Amino acid sequence: MGLNRRTFIGSAVAATTLSAPMVRAAGHGKPRVVVVGGGAGGATAARYIAKDSEGAIDVTLIEPTRTYYTCFFSNLYIGGFKTIDDIGHSYGTLASEYGINVVHDWAIGVDRDAKTVTLAGGATVGYDKLILSPGIDFVDGAVPGWDLNAQNAMPHAYKAGSQSELLKAQLMAMPEGGTYCMVAPPNPFRCPPGPYERVSMVAHYLKANNPTAKILIADPKEKFSKQGLFEEGWANHYDGMIERVGPDFGGANVEVDPGAMTVSIDGEVTNVDVCNVIPAMQAGRIAEIAGVTDGNWAPVNAADMSTKADPDIYVLGDASQQGDMPKSGFSANSQAKVCANAVRGALTGSRVFPAKFSNTCWSLIETNDGVKVGATYEATEEKIAKVDGFISATGETAEVRKKTYEESEGWYTGITSDMFG
Amino acid sequence: MSAGNLFLPALGATGLVLSCAILLATANRDRQELATAEAAIVTSETRIEDFKSRVERLEGELEAARAEVADLRAAAEAGDEAPAEGEEVAALPETVTPVTPSTPGQGNVENGKKLFAECSGCHKIGAGAENGIGPHLNLLFGRKAASVTDFRYSDSLIRAASNGLEWHADTLSDYIEDPRTFASGTRMSYDGMKDAADRRDLLAFLRTYSDNPADIPEADPTAVGTDHTVDPEILTLVGDAEYGEYLSSECTTCHQASGGDDGIPSIVLWPEEDFVTAMHAYRDKVRPNQVMQLIAGRLSNEEIAALAAYFKDLEE
Ligand SMILES: Cc1cc2nc3c(=O)[nH]c(=O)nc-3n(C[C@H](O)[C@H](O)[C@H](O)COP(=O)(O)OP(=O)(O)OC[C@H]3O[C@@H](n4cnc5c(N)ncnc54)[C@H](O)[C@@H]3O)c2cc1C
Repeated sequence: MGLNRRTFIGSAVAATTLSAPMVRAAGHGKPRVVVVGGGAGGATAARYIAKDSEGAIDVTLIEPTRTYYTCFFSNLYIGGFKTIDDIGHSYGTLASEYGINVVHDWAIGVDRDAKTVTLAGGATVGYDKLILSPGIDFVDGAVPGWDLNAQNAMPHAYKAGSQSELLKAQLMAMPEGGTYCMVAPPNPFRCPPGPYERVSMVAHYLKANNPTAKILIADPKEKFSKQGLFEEGWANHYDGMIERVGPDFGGANVEVDPGAMTVSIDGEVTNVDVCNVIPAMQAGRIAEIAGVTDGNWAPVNAADMSTKADPDIYVLGDASQQGDMPKSGFSANSQAKVCANAVRGALTGSRVFPAKFSNTCWSLIETNDGVKVGATYEATEEKIAKVDGFISATGETAEVRKKTYEESEGWYTGITSDMFG
Repeated sequence: MSAGNLFLPALGATGLVLSCAILLATANRDRQELATAEAAIVTSETRIEDFKSRVERLEGELEAARAEVADLRAAAEAGDEAPAEGEEVAALPETVTPVTPSTPGQGNVENGKKLFAECSGCHKIGAGAENGIGPHLNLLFGRKAASVTDFRYSDSLIRAASNGLEWHADTLSDYIEDPRTFASGTRMSYDGMKDAADRRDLLAFLRTYSDNPADIPEADPTAVGTDHTVDPEILTLVGDAEYGEYLSSECTTCHQASGGDDGIPSIVLWPEEDFVTAMHAYRDKVRPNQVMQLIAGRLSNEEIAALAAYFKDLEE
C-alpha cells in the first residue's frame, strides 16, 4: 500500500505544525481535514482519509486521551471475559504509519467563518473540512440527584476506561446479598442493547461470586433492544436475580441520592450497594459549540454525513441525527467510511461512490451465549433509511450461540484494526 | 454565522478520588494475570511432554525402519526374493528422512473421503487439482509447509516453514485439530476437526494422493470447489477494483485486511471465482450466516465482481 510515511511523534512535532496553520493556508498547502474525537467514527474517518489520499490531504486528529478504551466489549470486561488492557488502544500507528497529526487536546471552540478550531491548550487549527465525532455527553438534570460530580459514587460507565474500572471495583466490593441498581436511559442513546448486555455481565459475575445478590433495573422505556433474547437468557441463566421496573410501575420516575446510596422509584426509596446511573444523552458538547445541533443532536445529510447547518462540517456516530441507524460503534465506523469517501472526493476530485451503511450489534448474555441484530441502510433525501435486517432467534442451539460469540470476537479485532490500523 | 464561544470540559474527578475499590480491582487484575501466566506454564509443560513422547515414538519407528532396511539388504545379499523381471528395487536411503508415521491402512479412507467435504470448498485434490482459496493437497505428505508454488501463504505459515515445519501425519493432525492454535496467523479459516479418529481417516484419504505421484487416480474427479454454482456469465464480469476498494470498507469492519482470523474468516487473496461464488451463495441464502446473507443480499453482480477484483491482490 502506497502510504505517506511521514513520522509524527507525539504532540511535540504536531505542536510546531499547529503553531503556524495560517501560514500553511496562505501558502496554499494541501487541503486540510480536522477530525475532532478519536473514537469509532473519528479514528476511522481520519485513517481512511489519510490512507486513501496517500498524503494528498493533511489530516489532524484531535483527541484528549492517549489510550482509547472501547465501550464495545467494556461490558465483557465487567463480566470478566476481557481485561482492561484488551479494550485499550493507542494512536501510535495512526501517527507513524498514516502520517496523521495526532494532537492530544480538547477542542473547545469552532469559528465557522474563519474555519478554525480552538484547542484547550491555546492553539488554533485551520480546516477546509471539519469532521466532528465527539460521541455523547449526558443531559443535565436528566436523573434528579445525579450530576457529573456524582459519577464516582454512582458511575455511568457509559464512557469506557476509569469509569468501567470503577464500576467493576464497586461490583466486586458489593456485600453478600447486596443490590446492584441500574438506572437505564431513555431513547435515543448509544448502544441500545448496551444496558441489557451490562446487566447480563453483572449477573454473570454475581452468579459466580455473590449468588444471593439482586439486580434492579429502573427503566423509563416500554420496550428495549433484543428484549425477547435477553429475557429468555436471563430466565435460563440467572433465574430470579434480575428485576426490571418499567414505566408502568414508575421506571421513568426515578431520583437518586449519591450520598445516602438510595434510589427512589415512583417515591419508593430503596437502599442499594451499587448504583449504575446511565442518564439521558445528547451529542458531545463540541457539536453544540460549533452550532450544528438542533435540540440534542446534529442533523446530517445521509449521502455524506455533512451537517444540515454547514456543508463543511460533518458529524459522525452517536452525535449525529441521521435517521434509522442505532448509535453504535459499528454504525459510526460505517458512516465514517462514507464520509471519508465524500470528503476526499470534494478535496481531491477522487471518485465518490454511493453511500452504503450497515450495522451489526453482538451481545453476550452468558459464557458462549452470544446474540446479534443487524441491518443494512441507504441514503435517501430525508435520512439514512433501513433496507433490510435480521435478529437472532430465541431458542437457538448452544452451538449457534457459541459461533455468534466467536464471531463477535472476530468483529472486535476487525473493527479495532479498521479504526487504529 | 460564527460560534466561537469556549467551554472548559468537565474532566470529572476520576483522577482524584479513585477509592480503594480501584486498588482492589488492580490487585485482582494482577492476581488474574498471575493465574493466567501459571496456566500458560502448565500448558507449555504438557506440550513439552507431548513433544518428548512424539520424538520417542518417531525414534522407535526410525529404529524399526533401519532394522527393516538392514533385513532387506541382508536378504538381497543372500539372493532370495530376487526382484521379478522388469521390477525395480527402490533405492534404499542411507539415512531415513522423517518418517510419515501413518499408513493408509491406519485410517478409513472411505470415511476420510466423506470428511473431505469440509475441506473441498477451499482445497482441491486429485488429477489436475489447482490452487484455490487454499493450496492443492496432492503430494502433501512429507512436503515442507508453505511450499506449493504460486500459492500466497500467510506470514505465519511461512515462518513455521522456515522453522522447519513439514507435513506429516502428526503435524497435519495437530494443524487440522485447531488451525489457529497451531499457526495463529493462518488464513485457513477452519474451526478444527476435534475427533482424533476423524482426523486419522481424513489423513488416510489425503495420504492416498501423496505416496507416489503415479497413485493419483486419473478417474478421480477434482474435488468440487464450492457448494454453489453461478451462471458462467457472472463469472466473466470484470470487476472495478477501485470501486471494490470503496466497497471493501464495509467488509473490513469485521474481516481483517491483514488476513488474520480471530473468529471471522479471512477473505484476502482468494481467487476471484471462489470469492464471487461464495458471495452469490450467501446472496442466494445457500450459505447460512445471517450477517453475510444481509450484506451480500444487496450487492449487485458488478459490486461482487468489484470486491473480488480488489481482494484478490490485497496484501498489507
Ligand atoms: C457499554 C457499552 C457497550 C457498547 N457495545 C457496543 C457494541 O457491542 N457494538 C457497537 O457497535 N457499539 C457498542 N457501543 C456503542 C459505541 O461505543 C458507540 O456508539 C461508539 O463509540 C460511537 O462512536 P463515536 O465516534 O460517535 O464516539 P466515541 O467512540 O465515544 O468517540 C468520541 C471521542 O471523542 C472525544 N471527544 C469528545 N469531545 C471532544 C472534544 N471536545 N475535543 C476532542 N475530542 C473529544 C472523546 O474523548 C472520545 O474519544 C457500546 C457502548 C457502550 C457504552
